[in-house]
Amino acid sequence: MGALAAGPLSACGSGGGGRTTLRFYQSKPEVIGYFDENIIAPFNQSQSDIVVTHDATSSLVASLVREAPHDLVCNNYNLEPGTFVARDVLTDLGDLPEAEQIRPDVQELVGQYATPERASHVLPYSITAAGVIYNVPLFDEHGVEVPTTWSELIDACETFQSADITPFYMTFADPWTIQQGLFDYVGGGMLDVAQFYSELEAAGTDGGTTSSVSFRDRFDPVVAKMLELVPYTNPDAASRSYEDGNTAFARGDGAMYLQGPWAIGQIAAANPDLEVGTFPLPATDDPADLKARVNLDLALWIPKGAANPEAARTFLSYLMTPEVMHTYNADNLAISPVEDAPEVEDERIARLGAYVQDGAFYQGPGTYIPTAIPVGNYLQTLVLSRNGDEFLRTLDNDWNRLAQRTLV
Amino acid sequence: MTATSEAATTSRVAAPSADQGRRKVDPTYLVMLLPPVVLFTIFITLPGIVGMFYSITDYAGYGDWKFIGLTNYQAIFSDPRILGAYTFTIGFSFVTVILVNAVALALAIGLNAKIKFKKGLRGTFVLPMVISGIVIAYVFNYLFSTSLPTIAAALGIDALAGSILANPSLAWIGVVIVTAWQAVPGAMIIYLAGLLAIPTDVYEAADVDGASSWRKFTAITLPLMVGYVVINTILGFKNFLNAYDIIVGLTNGGPGTSTFSIAMTIFTGFTSGDYAYQMANAVLFFIVTIAISLFQLELIRRRGVSL
Amino acid sequence: MTTTRTSQDATATTVPAGRPRRPRRRREPKEDYRVNWRLTGLLAAASLAVLLPMYFTITMALKTSQQAASGTGFSLPWPVNLGNFTEAWRLTNFGRAFAISVFISVVAVSGVILLASAAAFAISQNWDRKLFRYSYYYLLGAMFIPFPVIALPQIKFMSIAGLSNPAGVAILHILFQMSFNILLYSAFLRSIPGELIESAHIDGATTAQTFRRLILPLLAPMNATVGIFVFLFSWNDFMMPSLIVANPALQTIPVVQSLFQSQFSANYNIAFASYLMAMAPTVVAYVFAQRWVMSGVTRGAIKG
Repeated sequence: MGALAAGPLSACGSGGGGRTTLRFYQSKPEVIGYFDENIIAPFNQSQSDIVVTHDATSSLVASLVREAPHDLVCNNYNLEPGTFVARDVLTDLGDLPEAEQIRPDVQELVGQYATPERASHVLPYSITAAGVIYNVPLFDEHGVEVPTTWSELIDACETFQSADITPFYMTFADPWTIQQGLFDYVGGGMLDVAQFYSELEAAGTDGGTTSSVSFRDRFDPVVAKMLELVPYTNPDAASRSYEDGNTAFARGDGAMYLQGPWAIGQIAAANPDLEVGTFPLPATDDPADLKARVNLDLALWIPKGAANPEAARTFLSYLMTPEVMHTYNADNLAISPVEDAPEVEDERIARLGAYVQDGAFYQGPGTYIPTAIPVGNYLQTLVLSRNGDEFLRTLDNDWNRLAQRTLV
Repeated sequence: MTATSEAATTSRVAAPSADQGRRKVDPTYLVMLLPPVVLFTIFITLPGIVGMFYSITDYAGYGDWKFIGLTNYQAIFSDPRILGAYTFTIGFSFVTVILVNAVALALAIGLNAKIKFKKGLRGTFVLPMVISGIVIAYVFNYLFSTSLPTIAAALGIDALAGSILANPSLAWIGVVIVTAWQAVPGAMIIYLAGLLAIPTDVYEAADVDGASSWRKFTAITLPLMVGYVVINTILGFKNFLNAYDIIVGLTNGGPGTSTFSIAMTIFTGFTSGDYAYQMANAVLFFIVTIAISLFQLELIRRRGVSL
Repeated sequence: MTTTRTSQDATATTVPAGRPRRPRRRREPKEDYRVNWRLTGLLAAASLAVLLPMYFTITMALKTSQQAASGTGFSLPWPVNLGNFTEAWRLTNFGRAFAISVFISVVAVSGVILLASAAAFAISQNWDRKLFRYSYYYLLGAMFIPFPVIALPQIKFMSIAGLSNPAGVAILHILFQMSFNILLYSAFLRSIPGELIESAHIDGATTAQTFRRLILPLLAPMNATVGIFVFLFSWNDFMMPSLIVANPALQTIPVVQSLFQSQFSANYNIAFASYLMAMAPTVVAYVFAQRWVMSGVTRGAIKG
């Protein structure tokens, strides 16, 4: 049952018996098979009005350019779909009963990237909470407790380092890992990220200049702390990639690993016997500041101009029934974004899950930056050159130039 | 194949001798010429013009848009990343085109000489052309980041113990090597064709006169191959300016932004809603490509080589 | 017409007069020159630069995840894991993608060979006329248009024309390869004596007949070269199918394989298995055509 096996089914589905063919886009590689087997197949069999076909390879932008968008899209919500919202090419889903069930603090996350007034154009489906993955046996062996303040974290690093264990295993060869881990965790742990970016947006063409809101002002302490952690990493980090990191951590090469639940699955595949846990990275000395980094790993939207919006809504409702949604999230180390979501049971992410339940979360600062500014690459330069000033200055200049250009 | 074949004295296709322009064109020729030209215009030239038009708007490919005049162009010239991409790409193309042509010519001469296993060796050296750029980049990425450092560490060569792709000042070398690896076979085939057209009695005559190998190379081979060198250089340079697949797979513009190519920066515009800005970049790129190629042609014309 | 002896003749298989030609290729006779062993050795050593990465690609495809993740990557895969191939086949629905890729490549190759050679012939016969000469420069100049400039409007155009499918991709492949191959054919055509064409005309052949019966066969060597270049471009192309084809069930192999290239996937070895499966046809096509390409290129070089 390959990713595209639904194709031939659709070919016979659209013609016969008046069944509507629903073009469903979902491309997260780890769960393509899961969606096919556990969600789409049962749905297709359970009723005879709609046949869902699963597209995992098309380009979303191309489908919009072609003016033949998919009927329902289930994808990671980041700035790219954020642009769709900003350009108003999605339909409003606020009137659906399912929309009411979404927790307001999660629904808010949608608007934080772009236009808050259109936040209901996208419905969150699966939240992943990311923090520090730690090697439980190593922690126990060296008597290190899960740190809840910055000083405790540094102490833990010292303990590991003197025992010749790499405190943090890092993978600088893949820029996104630096952004997702080091930058987002330290930044999110110290600042009110959403607040910063809304101020930056409001500053318009002055954004990024020292007279107004800028990265230099607010992120200077963040960068300083990031650079404090860099010496506690593996010496070959510059040439290690994400895959190398998963394998190495699974092998026990590091005590802590700055990755999200998606990596836990990979680590388990490499070494099923390793016991891991997670905790939010403490960036201040006040435990009350602890927050989990979240992102809308999966969210649902229906583009304008879709061929079968009604069928799309039917399938959307099905996706958001508790049996389907909660089962998916439980099986994939994620959290459901609705009011009465069940508690996170999996031990490995339970601690982070509790923070999310309490509303203590943020979207990583790196995720607010448009791809026109290659913040991942800049971060790579930062950790290699250890020049914090240059990093902040570049970021500000790029942001300012972008603002000048687009807010004309 | 080109003017160099004049040495073999074949006559150019005779131009019709009757009053030119008065005779009607044989319609069959029009049927042969026009469909490609028309299709080309519809599917390539027109989209190109439309694309250029978008550069003076803020279009994202979908949704609403408006005119913004030359704002995009002004912004390009103060964007250090784009200017950096041009510097890197042009420099990289220059080095790679020299490397590729030197190696390809040397290989062609070698594979045309008195060796054993000619077919097998020729076949081997053409293999890199057969694989897609994405796969090559992936393979070499692993080789440079993992295999090479492991081997170097075992042999005690510290200099290579880190991945060269992680070193901002050396990463470009990795890009050059991999791009050249894939580009050599194509150039080599063309050079082989040219070499095979040179009659052996010319070399035999030179042998009789006691010429050394080097002398034979500079006095016979090189002059007769110049046309091919020119074609390979101009087209090769253009291809390297457009480098994308290999760089994305190998370094993705890193470390930092040291290996960002022009094509990469243009493509980021597609998914970031920044399409129109990158279209201005693309128009600029088009102009630069043509300028460089015309410049190369002019240099060649000055040296009296006819194509 | 005289034939000039080139170095190629030295290794040509010769058949003694009177003996019927055997259908099978005979073993290469010993070269009739003194073999330069040092050069041969040098070239063999140089060929390692090609063979090592190839070896690596193949062994990676045969390893399990654990084996793949450690060491230099050059260790022999043992035990050999063929499961990677079946997994890759399943995940990418390889059979169908393969058929689509074949369709597009075959159409592209035949299209370019026919259209480009015809256009080159027309141009070379009418060089004195502005229309033809300028068309030549127009097509050549278009080689320098960077693809990104055209990409997005092309998506729109193709969708308006109802060509958001493999047929549309094939058409675009033909058009993108036109310029370079018209250049190649034009250069090649220059070596065909004008008298040949004149005499065909005198004999009463129409232009179309001249082209079909006289020129096309003469172009055979070039067709092989053009064919292999176009095939490789078309088979390995990722950009155009991914942007133009609307129905994901009708995608080509490179696009379907992109499932493995996402940043969240660590399936090195399955990825390599699928790369190998995709490479296999190009290697086969190449081995098949290589004989012709080399011989064709050399026959073209022999002025006959």
